[in-house]
Amino acid sequence: MERKASSSAAAVWAILRKECRSEWRTRYGLNAALLFAVTSLAAVSFAVGPLGDRTDILSALLWVVLFFAALSSLSHAFVREIEGHTLTLLRLVASPTAIALGKLFFNLIFLVVIEAVTVPLFLLLMGGPPPGWSRFLAMLSLGSVALAASCTLVSAIIAQTRGRGALFAGVSLPLLLPVLAAAVKGTRAQWLGGTVGAEASILLAYALAVFGVSLLLYDHLWED
Amino acid sequence: MFARGLLFVWIAAWIVLGFAWAPVVPVLGDTTRVLYFHIPAAWVTVVALAWSMIQSVLYLAKRRIEHDDQAAASAELGMLFCIVATISGSLWAKAMWGSYWNWDPRETSIFFLLLIYAAYLALRGAIEGEERRARLSAIYSAAAFVAVPFLMFIVPRIFDSLHPSPILPSREQGSMDPRITMVFLAMLVGFTALFYWLLSLRARFARVERRLLEAVVHG
Repeated sequence: MERKASSSAAAVWAILRKECRSEWRTRYGLNAALLFAVTSLAAVSFAVGPLGDRTDILSALLWVVLFFAALSSLSHAFVREIEGHTLTLLRLVASPTAIALGKLFFNLIFLVVIEAVTVPLFLLLMGGPPPGWSRFLAMLSLGSVALAASCTLVSAIIAQTRGRGALFAGVSLPLLLPVLAAAVKGTRAQWLGGTVGAEASILLAYALAVFGVSLLLYDHLWED
Repeated sequence: MFARGLLFVWIAAWIVLGFAWAPVVPVLGDTTRVLYFHIPAAWVTVVALAWSMIQSVLYLAKRRIEHDDQAAASAELGMLFCIVATISGSLWAKAMWGSYWNWDPRETSIFFLLLIYAAYLALRGAIEGEERRARLSAIYSAAAFVAVPFLMFIVPRIFDSLHPSPILPSREQGSMDPRITMVFLAMLVGFTALFYWLLSLRARFARVERRLLEAVVHG
């Protein structure tokens, strides 16, 4: 039992390392995502200009940019396996849950990298009052975890459909609306100097719920 | 056959009564009658979504294709009723609030349901193979099941609602005419029965279709 648990943790770790390595080799997923995020940020900034203290619009735009950057790129981890015909081999060496968990952690790292570039640029270009850093980062990180958890599950499904990437954004969005609503509200509250406890717990609860359900569902992902 | 005829007469008769017999509420005026279509449609939308998700989870547990038939049929019909509820509500909002759409919490939640239905059906359309389609769309449905209560919980915290608060109109507004309540409840029963009939029809159709396909392939 002990050995099995450790070996599946080892499998998750191995998948995560493999993901990072194969992404780093080509970097085209990362490049595309960064380019998309910076482009949409530039489009938004160019269209509306610095917003000063319009925190309602600022928080909405920040999350819309982050969401679309995520929706344009997070299906990549699974679609790559299908398109490269490597999924069968991967399934021989690891359980569906280990594969999905490895990809979930990879997606999380992927999001953090995108945010590390996008968010400072956003603050720079859009103006706005200085954020309350701890609360701001809490919103960002919890939002990212919820985003990655939902997107990983949906992208594993979407990779097995016709047209693959095309449906991903549309099918993910219904699952992400609660995240969007809570993250936008919390981000705005921190700009106004308010508390974000309620939004943080909503995001955390949502991420945990999706993660828990995912653990039950991952096993059904591939059976043929 | 008899039940079907009865259902037809039932709904038709109550529609006529809703216009000819039941009075209108003073403030709402003629828009009172939206009530007889809008709320039953919204009710069926929610029931159909819950039924579809329950059947999806059952499919994952038991792997009987009949559960998938039920889930798919329920989602298709739910989408239909959801559109009816959305459009009737939007028309009513234009008449009473002056705009078709304002992201009122009720508008947000019905839009959310519409999105789930649309995504679920689009997903089904994109998956090849019966077993795989059933399995993957059931996974999606189960995941969406988690999102629903969150949205119901979060949205009212963020926006104030103008929507008439009680689902059943007779409770808080004690002045509501009993004839209105009666027509409304009768329509609620009628819509639910209509949904049940269409659901069984659709599920039977899927079964026959599958048997026909098997006969063509094997015979």
